[in-house]
Amino acid sequence: MTGANEPTNIDVAALVREALSAHTGNTTSASTTSDLSIDEELNLHAIGWEPVELVSGYSVFSTPLGLWSWGQGEIVAAGEAHASAFRNATSRLCSEASAAGAHGVVGVHIERSIYSTHTEVSMIGTAVRPIGAGRVEPIRVFASDLSARDFSRLIIAGWEPLGLAVGASFVYAPRRSMGAVFQQQTQNVELTNYTEAIYSARELAMDRMQRSAINLHGTGVVEVKIVEGPMTFASHAVGFAAWGTVVRLAGATHRLQHPTMVVSLDDAEVLFDAANLE
Amino acid sequence: MSEHVNDLPEATEHRLEELEHGLFTSDLSVNEFLLVKEAGFHPVGLVMGSSIYHTGIQTRKWSQSQELTKLTEAMYNARELAMTRMEEEAAELGADGVVGVRLDVNYYEWGKDAAEFIAVGTAVKAEDGVSRRNKLGKPFTSDLSGQDFWTLSQTGYAPQGLVMGTCVYHIAHRGLGQTLSSTGQNVELPNFTQALYEARELAMTRMQDESTRLGASGVVGVRLEEKSHQWGSHTIEFLALGTAVTKTTETVTLAKPMTIISLDN
Repeated sequence: MTGANEPTNIDVAALVREALSAHTGNTTSASTTSDLSIDEELNLHAIGWEPVELVSGYSVFSTPLGLWSWGQGEIVAAGEAHASAFRNATSRLCSEASAAGAHGVVGVHIERSIYSTHTEVSMIGTAVRPIGAGRVEPIRVFASDLSARDFSRLIIAGWEPLGLAVGASFVYAPRRSMGAVFQQQTQNVELTNYTEAIYSARELAMDRMQRSAINLHGTGVVEVKIVEGPMTFASHAVGFAAWGTVVRLAGATHRLQHPTMVVSLDDAEVLFDAANLE
Repeated sequence: MSEHVNDLPEATEHRLEELEHGLFTSDLSVNEFLLVKEAGFHPVGLVMGSSIYHTGIQTRKWSQSQELTKLTEAMYNARELAMTRMEEEAAELGADGVVGVRLDVNYYEWGKDAAEFIAVGTAVKAEDGVSRRNKLGKPFTSDLSGQDFWTLSQTGYAPQGLVMGTCVYHIAHRGLGQTLSSTGQNVELPNFTQALYEARELAMTRMQDESTRLGASGVVGVRLEEKSHQWGSHTIEFLALGTAVTKTTETVTLAKPMTIISLDN
């Protein structure tokens, strides 16, 4: 940030536009951009797919002031903002992928930040397609947070990804009365009000995730990630979010993989790591 | 829907109902998912249990090593609550077991001494329709990963339950006299050694008792965790966790592992 080495007068937006236009609609383009490693690219090619372009989607959704501080039950607006931000980011990601001639986006890296005033979701991933395949509508482009390696393994086993399922919910946890706090000070007790708040947030979120999976006609959601706990800026509001990749059997049956057992003769680098014990 | 009497909230039952109609959710990675299928199981749902628990207060004597039974009880009960709730969800789904169980303790700002105990895992059901529930008729639980689960099934063993033992121990501080007399010397500190030994033994024994109750022939993948949580440096929780297993088939032909040298770093 010294300014000495800083290039001046570069119109970044124009550069990006120019770079993107090279790909638009041009399905036979040979030049590709991807954040895949060599072996991931090899995996993709092995199943007859190729990377097309690095694509991204981003959305910020604002939430009303004072939303988080007091109340009862679910914080509906916060859940809606999360869903909208996710939906917008995903659809932008898929439109970009579609424009580049891809059929799906793999290895989507999802970053979500929730602040008291807004919810932010950003996604970046590698757009892929069956080698030489033509363009499809954005609505038919799938997004998946599975790595390219996992994606190819899933295809080999006879499954296909359909998209991302997501569900989130935010709930007020009722405060304990001073009397209760005092009374429970020395006891072993379950704090039922908090437990119930966490449960209702979780159930709403999981149910939403399941519904979005059903809407995508999936039969399962794999690699579900869970983030839960009180919001950093409002300790009496608890949030629960879950997301994963929706899958379904592409063929008639699951193809078993029959792994071979191997013993690596490499010396193990770390046999025991005390730091991992926490 | 189920003959079990349980304390699951209504919303949970609604969610689980959806899962019974064919959709599955799971936090297994793709590799684990494929290996669970390979072992003859199908995931049925992500199951969870949690409990926010307030641990009481127990006075400790500065110079005396002792187990803090009240804290031990709290740590055990809270985990047991979370585990039981998770098992209930799995039972509700008609699952045979839960794999990849994670047990976590999270501390929040909700007040001193309050912590969230959470158990999360993927409920699985045998594809051949034969029940694989444990001796107590409940779904088995296991903290084995999908990979470990498959490998275990190759050896003819089946998981019976996640077993645990815990012990919260206060380790005596050394008196000034003791500190002075050992300054500059190579000596073992017997009071520390003894206290740590005893606490670990208590936790391990409790874990073994649980596995005996399940009629298991052994415990695999045992982890011993030592944590001070929020009690200061001289109070430590020893937690022993493992998966109790029993042999199900006598005749097993284990594939001879191939030896490899990987050419990458």
